[in-house]
Amino acid sequence: MDIRIPRLGEGADSGTIVSILVKEGDVVRKDQTVVELENEKAVAPIPASDGGKVIKLLVKVGDKVSVGQAILTLEGGAASPAASQQSAPARAASPVPSAPAAPSAPSAPVSVPAPASGDYQYESKTGLPPPASPTIRRMAADLGIDLRRVRGSEHGGRIVLSDLRAYIQGLQQAAVSAAPSAPAAAKTAAPAPAESVDFSKWGPVTKKPLSSLRQKIAQKMSESWQAIPHVTQFDEADITSLLALRKKHVAAYEKKGAKLTVTGFILKAVVRALQKHPSFNSSLDEAAQELVLKQYYHLGVAVDTESGLIVPVLKDVDKKSLLEISKDLETLAEKTRSRKVGIDDLKGGSFTVSNLGGIGGTFFTPIVNRPEVAILGVGRGVVRPTAVDGKVELRTMLPLGLSYDHRVIDGADGARFIREIVTSLESFGEDQVKI
Amino acid sequence: MKPIETEIVVVGGGPGGYAAAFYAADRGKKVILVEQDKRLGGVCLNRGCIPSKAYLHATKLIQEARESAHRGIAYGEPKIDVAKLRAWKEASLDKLAQGIAGLAQKRSVQVMQGRGHFEDSQTLRVETAEGQRFIRYQQAIIAVGSKPSMPAAFDLGNKRVMTSTEALDVEDVPEDLLVVGGGYIGMELGTVYATLGSRVVVVEAMPAILAGADPDLVRPVQRFAEKNFKEVRLGVKVLKMATSGKKIQVTMEIEGKKIDEYYDRVLVSIGRTPNCKDLGLKNTKVAVDEKGFIRVDSQQRTADPNIFAIGDVVGGMMLAHKAAKEARVAVDVIAGDHHEFKDVVIPAVVFTEPEVAWCGMTEAEARQKGIDVKISRFPWGASGRALSSDRTDGLTKLIVDPETERILGVGIVGHGAGELISEGVLAIEMGATVRDLAEAVHPHPTLSETLMECAEAFYGYATHTYTGRKTEA
Repeated sequence: MDIRIPRLGEGADSGTIVSILVKEGDVVRKDQTVVELENEKAVAPIPASDGGKVIKLLVKVGDKVSVGQAILTLEGGAASPAASQQSAPARAASPVPSAPAAPSAPSAPVSVPAPASGDYQYESKTGLPPPASPTIRRMAADLGIDLRRVRGSEHGGRIVLSDLRAYIQGLQQAAVSAAPSAPAAAKTAAPAPAESVDFSKWGPVTKKPLSSLRQKIAQKMSESWQAIPHVTQFDEADITSLLALRKKHVAAYEKKGAKLTVTGFILKAVVRALQKHPSFNSSLDEAAQELVLKQYYHLGVAVDTESGLIVPVLKDVDKKSLLEISKDLETLAEKTRSRKVGIDDLKGGSFTVSNLGGIGGTFFTPIVNRPEVAILGVGRGVVRPTAVDGKVELRTMLPLGLSYDHRVIDGADGARFIREIVTSLESFGEDQVKI
Repeated sequence: MKPIETEIVVVGGGPGGYAAAFYAADRGKKVILVEQDKRLGGVCLNRGCIPSKAYLHATKLIQEARESAHRGIAYGEPKIDVAKLRAWKEASLDKLAQGIAGLAQKRSVQVMQGRGHFEDSQTLRVETAEGQRFIRYQQAIIAVGSKPSMPAAFDLGNKRVMTSTEALDVEDVPEDLLVVGGGYIGMELGTVYATLGSRVVVVEAMPAILAGADPDLVRPVQRFAEKNFKEVRLGVKVLKMATSGKKIQVTMEIEGKKIDEYYDRVLVSIGRTPNCKDLGLKNTKVAVDEKGFIRVDSQQRTADPNIFAIGDVVGGMMLAHKAAKEARVAVDVIAGDHHEFKDVVIPAVVFTEPEVAWCGMTEAEARQKGIDVKISRFPWGASGRALSSDRTDGLTKLIVDPETERILGVGIVGHGAGELISEGVLAIEMGATVRDLAEAVHPHPTLSETLMECAEAFYGYATHTYTGRKTEA
């Protein structure tokens, strides 16, 4: 008789064989899993509808099969003789050499995915941490690894060094494979490092090892650049009246111990634009193919430190007044420059602002800070003769460059978003500044 | 006067304090160790663990000589010279304290004798014999320890009412001694005095002696006390005491009735109080709890960023080895390393007759928390070594997680239990399973075998005991 693909459930009438757990000559029991079938929804184990000896396999791994299709042929036509036949050798532990493999077959590792990391979570019925020697526990604490996520391989689930190592390797693999966007993973694998060139052939050089921060920046930038199809949209905002507002109130802010900066105004304007265009305050979950829209407004602010670029995050900007923003911005920047910023201050951003106006330059094309989907680059305001209501006036124009992830955001929305910011900056209300 | 500058000052030279000072010095720090006593070592060395063990050792011989008679070896009555006994004890303490002082010197730890008092978060004033000294430190570690509690109602200003401190300076052997509190201190010192010849009555307010230990581990101690003490009274409260000539009149409440009794001496051993008073903590940000213990986090930090605290003064198990472990944590954290006092197995040992020792989870704790455990017991009556040394009054037990067979706790009562428990500590710290313990060969004939056989009994195949349990394939 033949074992066929049974009905799999709603909407699932075909799939791909991902593993075959028996081979010809094996004796299978009724309900024993014989193959595993993958469809859009899941990997489903397919049980044998009857027991008996496998005479012929009718499919191979990778075959597409549909409901009702035969996958293997069992010896013996009727159900009852086959069943009794299979139970006989299994129970009577007599030396029957013909049927040894069946019991161990289900653990065939054909389709087992990355075993190391995964979502393992130690469940403690005793309230105690998972078993591991003091050395391993200390090591995990030093590395910041939660041992409850590490699967212990020894008796009683004891975690040993090799388990910790496997877990870390799993994390690394997961990090590497998550970096390029999922479908294109193979193609966009990081390019091999360029060969070293001996530059001293052409003149004296000094060599400096890359700091770990610099290495981190390099890695982050390449990942963002490779994973995200960037578009940069430029615009200018007339900030003449905004600067006047700033001038008028800067002393009052100073009295309260705060520095009123253009960045503060920009953060306010950005939050307003984000609130109107939620897709800019989102992240793309490539694995789940979902857009994650955030209900909070945590803005990253690029800070130029002696050792390199660091982007601390100003939390809940929408809930803060300009005074609070100014104060927080200053302490955060100071903490960052003195490298005292905590890891929590660097996480959870939903949009980034990079203001190079203090240094100079006009338009530039910032790189999106993945997993965010957009970033605003601000240059230095330029005083320029500008047409205002048909007359030429000297106005200060602020160059803006908005880079965004074109997978998530269309060009039209990009233009709308930057216009929103420009309008906000040009019509900044004094009520928002006054304290 | 210009203050003395140092990286670390440790206040208190007990087993926590000197361990911290030495470890900090070993890690390259400049350290000053402040101790008010002439002798380093704290309560442990001077008025606690060490002298009590010295007495227990000395008096054990009396006990053993008496028990020897039925084995055909009899001795005459011992002659006890209390002054000589005390002098011997003092000599051994001196030797130990000198050893510690020598170790401090070798490490260039400056020992300053005097009382420490915090002036602010970074300054300690020390009252030395030569006058005040001010120490300006970067980090301080408070390790000032604890002292025996003495309720005002018992504090008659009469030296016949003693705490462990006085009891360890054996002046004479009282005919009738009352021990108030059947905890480990009361039971240990009760044993010393009973062996020296006192009629000892122990009064405990709780329904059992040695609170914290599993009842099956306490039973042999209870039996010894019933035989060698005059009486052990459980669930009995002492109401008041009064001086009555050369005696102390003690009023107790037994089953609702008040009775008066007269004792030559009374030992009050009902707990210990932290030594936080007069330390100037109010000049710092250090916070204390309602019982007066200094609050610390798992890294031994107090509420004051410049001050750490370790040992008895932070509460928890008031044991020297706990303090020493906390010393390691505090110094590592000061040195910038990650270290936490977390999931640490602290063994408890009571040096009674016989000794009781346990570590990890107790059976009572598992029951109380509703944790499903399996208990494996190995009675020492089945141990050849216990039998041949006439010490079958013992029991070894394992508290096991039935699902993973992980050893959660180990409890031992019997001769030398304090030495045997360390294997249990290692097993639990290593996350060992009962199988690991059963597979490790233990030498025969020793008492340590009881641990292996107890593990084997878990699987039903211990050679020297029959459990009736069948081994599964």
